[in-house]
Amino acid sequence: MTDLAVPVTTRKDWASDQEVRWCPGCGDYSILSAVQLLLPELGIRRENTVFVSGIGCAARFPYYMNTYGMHSIHGRAPAIATGLAVSRPDLDVWVVTGDGDSLSIGGNHLVHALRRNVNLTILMFNNQIYGLTKGQYSPTSEVGKITKSTPFGSLDAPFNPVSLALGAEATFVARTHDLDRKHMVETFRRAHDHRGASFVEVYQNCNVFNDGAFEAINGKENRADMLIPLEHGQPIRFGADGEHGVASDGHGGLRLVEVADVGEDALVIHDERQVNPSLAFALSRLATGPHEPTPIGVFRAVERPDYGSLVDQQLLEAQNRQGVGDLASLLRSGATWNYD
Amino acid sequence: MTSVAERPKPFVLPEYCKGCGRCISSCTKACITMGTEINPVTGLVPIVLDLSRCNGCGLCFEACPEPYGLRPQGEEAAFELVDPSTVLGPRPYAAPQPEPWPDTSVPLPEREPLIVKGTYAAAVGAVLAGCRHVFGYPITPSTEGAELMAKVLPELSGVFVQAVSEVATVNMMYGAGGAGKRCMTFTSSPGFSLMLEGISYMIGAEIPAVFVNVMRGGPGLGNIGPEQADIKLVCRGLGHGNTHAIVLAPATPQEMLDIAMLSFELAFKYRNPVVIVGDGYLGQMTGKVRLPRQMTEPGIPEWAVFGDRSHRGNLMCSLDLSEVGLEQHNVRLNEKYAQMTAEEQRADLYRCDDAEILIVACNTPAQLAKGAIKELQDKGLKVGLFRPITLWPFPIEALLTVLDRVERLVIVEASSGQLEDELRLALSHAEVHAPPPMSHVRRMGGILPSQDEIVEHVLGLEEVR
Repeated sequence: MTDLAVPVTTRKDWASDQEVRWCPGCGDYSILSAVQLLLPELGIRRENTVFVSGIGCAARFPYYMNTYGMHSIHGRAPAIATGLAVSRPDLDVWVVTGDGDSLSIGGNHLVHALRRNVNLTILMFNNQIYGLTKGQYSPTSEVGKITKSTPFGSLDAPFNPVSLALGAEATFVARTHDLDRKHMVETFRRAHDHRGASFVEVYQNCNVFNDGAFEAINGKENRADMLIPLEHGQPIRFGADGEHGVASDGHGGLRLVEVADVGEDALVIHDERQVNPSLAFALSRLATGPHEPTPIGVFRAVERPDYGSLVDQQLLEAQNRQGVGDLASLLRSGATWNYD
Repeated sequence: MTSVAERPKPFVLPEYCKGCGRCISSCTKACITMGTEINPVTGLVPIVLDLSRCNGCGLCFEACPEPYGLRPQGEEAAFELVDPSTVLGPRPYAAPQPEPWPDTSVPLPEREPLIVKGTYAAAVGAVLAGCRHVFGYPITPSTEGAELMAKVLPELSGVFVQAVSEVATVNMMYGAGGAGKRCMTFTSSPGFSLMLEGISYMIGAEIPAVFVNVMRGGPGLGNIGPEQADIKLVCRGLGHGNTHAIVLAPATPQEMLDIAMLSFELAFKYRNPVVIVGDGYLGQMTGKVRLPRQMTEPGIPEWAVFGDRSHRGNLMCSLDLSEVGLEQHNVRLNEKYAQMTAEEQRADLYRCDDAEILIVACNTPAQLAKGAIKELQDKGLKVGLFRPITLWPFPIEALLTVLDRVERLVIVEASSGQLEDELRLALSHAEVHAPPPMSHVRRMGGILPSQDEIVEHVLGLEEVR
């Protein structure tokens, strides 16, 4: 089977026959279309591809993919995907989740999938709200957010998902947004090609319950001055003419500068392959929320053996040391006795 | 001639030594070995010293993590085990016995009835019962109750916390309930499943709280249509161990309010969680709700972890490592369950006086059955409704009063027979060995039995044909 060439597919081959049931105008549509555009280019098979989701609007994603899929338990998608990826290392396993699903009820499972570096591609649609239950605040909602469950404003300090993933020492961490299909496709491609756990935060507009949450940074007029594209090996600069940049603040963090003031040499060169995640973390702390200049792109992409490979290696070592197990003799070893 | 002060060699205080062995690895002269004799006082195995090679280096004193495990020789007399009370004297004061602060009842003026949906009615009832602490996680179709609480509680010096999951929710309730506060949650079937672990702990630790479970279609994620398929769970499966809780099944928005108020009384009377089960329709159904003429200002029970001197001996705990102690605890829980079974059965009997055909139903299906009964009575049939309001304990006493005349029981429910199982179990426990023949109208998957289906079923019975 494996020596057969991967069939050539088009975007249509990856779309299922299901009617897409997100609200009209939802940012999820463009993410779906970016994924369906990308998959034919990856040289993978539909029958070897699985989309796993939990609960929430984002979690409807597997219905719309003409691949295998699991629409599973609230927050548990990373755990379910871990089971799948470890038992079937030949599969391409994607996790599609939202900010509520992955950061509140599923926070535990998410950080451990990242920590273990399970070979997964995790797409986290961050709309800073609970959409499916009709508008309650989420772990990424800003302080003071008025929602149905916080009529007097939220008191919770929000998570910064990229910082969180870096804190869990994820080996691939990126951010993109739903208004830039090309950037999404390229980011998802990098995430897919990375071996190990890849985490991509996608800023996604919920036009019904949290409309315009990212308008300040990804609105057409604002983009040039508010999005900081990260490119490996390049000085970090942004603005229509690259007039703004990012430099060290002298205290282990980063600050925004005008290139004209500090000179090009003072700009920080982005290095996504640094094993030490400090630079990536400092980049993730540049913006306190999507109302300040915000880095997008790949924050970190480092090599570390993935969990599935380590499991395989351990099995091989055990078998080399002790030989292939014989169930009958294993059952009779240790504290078992014959009854006469 | 210079003299060297002789450094002390160690001696071991066996009552303090836990046999951790750190001194063994620190000793350069291999003077110390793991013991083999269990110390009768501590039940642990202290190390054994052989000081023939000891040069008094003192490394073992450093290694010993116990303040009095290994000490320099010459200090023996200072380390005899003594009762601290003989050294420190009795406690400077005795904490007073905690006194319960009783609940007070506050009269309310006559008000126009409200027109509200079921989840809101339950929230209003809880507020009137003195509930000021609500925890929850969004889940359709129960979220509105919590949203209303989020809006009204701050003005009443109360708090709603949106937890990060139902697991977090139930543990927040453990905390608030343990402080003697009236707390509740609104959830729906999948969320209730997640709360079961905490409910078992709360029953074990005897912590009151009220859970509103607006049942939806299952199993698993199911859908958000109305179902009654958690009856088995709430009556027979509240987490692990010997657990029970009073389960109340309202049928109208008015009852959602009344039962919410009653639930807090019962939860605190028995120091046990109480579960209110509704169905998805009842949660969303809008109806006229009369407000009671009094509300409750809750006090603080004597068992609460209240944070003052008199309550400081209180411990909320479901752990008991002694088998005998835990069995006694279970015996006590069983006595509570027996008291609930004897005193808390509630049922609504509708046109049962001369009923030959008795429909058994709860929640919204009971309302549908009432409609069917009116239709059937117009056709001259003697049909009545037995509506359990408590599903656990099942109101078998009330059923027995009318059962003699009944020729047929028809169980109407939105589940695969979970209410019928409770009925059959109750009949069996009541030694009713030859109950009337039973038949049923059941729907599942988020669909309620319809009035027409009930009428059709009854008209098709052989007793009627």
